[in-house]
Amino acid sequence: MSKTATMRKLNNSRHFLFFLLLLSFAACKKEEYAIPDPVSELSNDCIKRTLGPNIVTLPIEFAYAMALPKAKGKLVSAQVEASIAGAAGTFLENRSFYTKSNGADTGITIGSPSVNDGKITKVTYTVDTSAATLRYFYVIPEEARGLSVSFTFSATSSDGKTASFKMGPYAISKMHMVKNMAVSNNNNAYISIENMAVYNSTTAVANAGKIDLVYLYRATPTAFTHALVSPAADPVYLPGVTLPAGVNRSAKVNKVFNLQDRNLANLQYGIYIDDKDFQEINLQTAPNYALGLKAEAGVWVETTDGKYRAYIFVNSVNANGSAVISMLRYTL
Amino acid sequence: MAKYYKITCSLLLIAGLIGGCKKDLPVDEDGLLITQRAECYVGNFELLGTDFVTVRSKTAVIDTTALTINVEVFFGTDLKNVYPQFSLATDCKLDPKIVGKVDLSDLSNPKTYTVISGNRLVKKPYKIIVKYQ
Repeated sequence: MSKTATMRKLNNSRHFLFFLLLLSFAACKKEEYAIPDPVSELSNDCIKRTLGPNIVTLPIEFAYAMALPKAKGKLVSAQVEASIAGAAGTFLENRSFYTKSNGADTGITIGSPSVNDGKITKVTYTVDTSAATLRYFYVIPEEARGLSVSFTFSATSSDGKTASFKMGPYAISKMHMVKNMAVSNNNNAYISIENMAVYNSTTAVANAGKIDLVYLYRATPTAFTHALVSPAADPVYLPGVTLPAGVNRSAKVNKVFNLQDRNLANLQYGIYIDDKDFQEINLQTAPNYALGLKAEAGVWVETTDGKYRAYIFVNSVNANGSAVISMLRYTL
Repeated sequence: MAKYYKITCSLLLIAGLIGGCKKDLPVDEDGLLITQRAECYVGNFELLGTDFVTVRSKTAVIDTTALTINVEVFFGTDLKNVYPQFSLATDCKLDPKIVGKVDLSDLSNPKTYTVISGNRLVKKPYKIIVKYQ
């Protein structure tokens, strides 16, 4: 091969490599954001705003957005149909919210207050608007416990069009919840998981067969402090306690720390206890007492008859021998 | 030019062969590296409850001659469900392995854990002696 031919071949290779390099630069070019096509007719969208398990008596919140081009008309009504009618307090906002630059949600009234008719909650627009986002608060009814619920959001516009959006199904928890029960040493000290209530030594007698735990506070030994002890536990863990007649059950108790369920902890923290936690926890080898409880500690409990599992969260403690507790209970 | 190229290639090939023939370091049945270290002891010991908070009322006393770990726990500690934690000398391992909660409630028959050195030749059984506060 002549020197000229070799040179030409080398040049061709260089051109080819240069071309490849240019191509790779072009391939890596960032795509510019393109404004999406505006909607040409009534459109809608929805998000679920609440997180965590869906517990009976608590609301599930949605934000439902609807809009149509101004030239096509205005919004006439919006409604939500739930597969199971919501409990009292279920409503669809008659205000459309937007977020101010300071982050505050600001509502503008767009219609009359919502009307509940069985499974349907409806708002009729009273202002001339072609776009709105309405919040929907579905208070979970007792009938939905352990079932699932789904929703159909729909909007109608003055041009006769209807748009709808399905959400769900959402599983409704089997858990029961009671918050902020005050317990105190030698007074309101008898806790029933079944009744989800606290009794004193007099009222405990009437519910003797349902008392699972006794709250007590002892300054010594230093490791004792605030405790939840089964009536049937070794008397060494019930010093100075005279149990009411018939109070003799034994529950399995497992102490935990840093498990601050958001609902029990009054909307602090981002941790949720769900049905699955109760289904999966193994308390077979757990003792029947828990000593040294602090604020924000908790205990998993299983009743002696195996009917219930519960999580008792210690909201606060007081060195005078009292505490505030909250409870989630799951029926097995 | 071609001569230098050939020499470089040959050198790289020889270096590759030498590197490729290097003997692998030995590993044990757990896939852990067996090293030359013969040190074999427990440096620190912790005992946690089900809430992952310590149940010790004072620092554990580790006797590396008598091969005992004396630990005092709080009144009311549930010793059926505790998590022991050992800090071992470099490259050592523990037998049996701790994979979850441990029952140390039988105070009359203390549990024994064997520390095995990095070279896997030295084995020292440590007895955990627990007593309540």
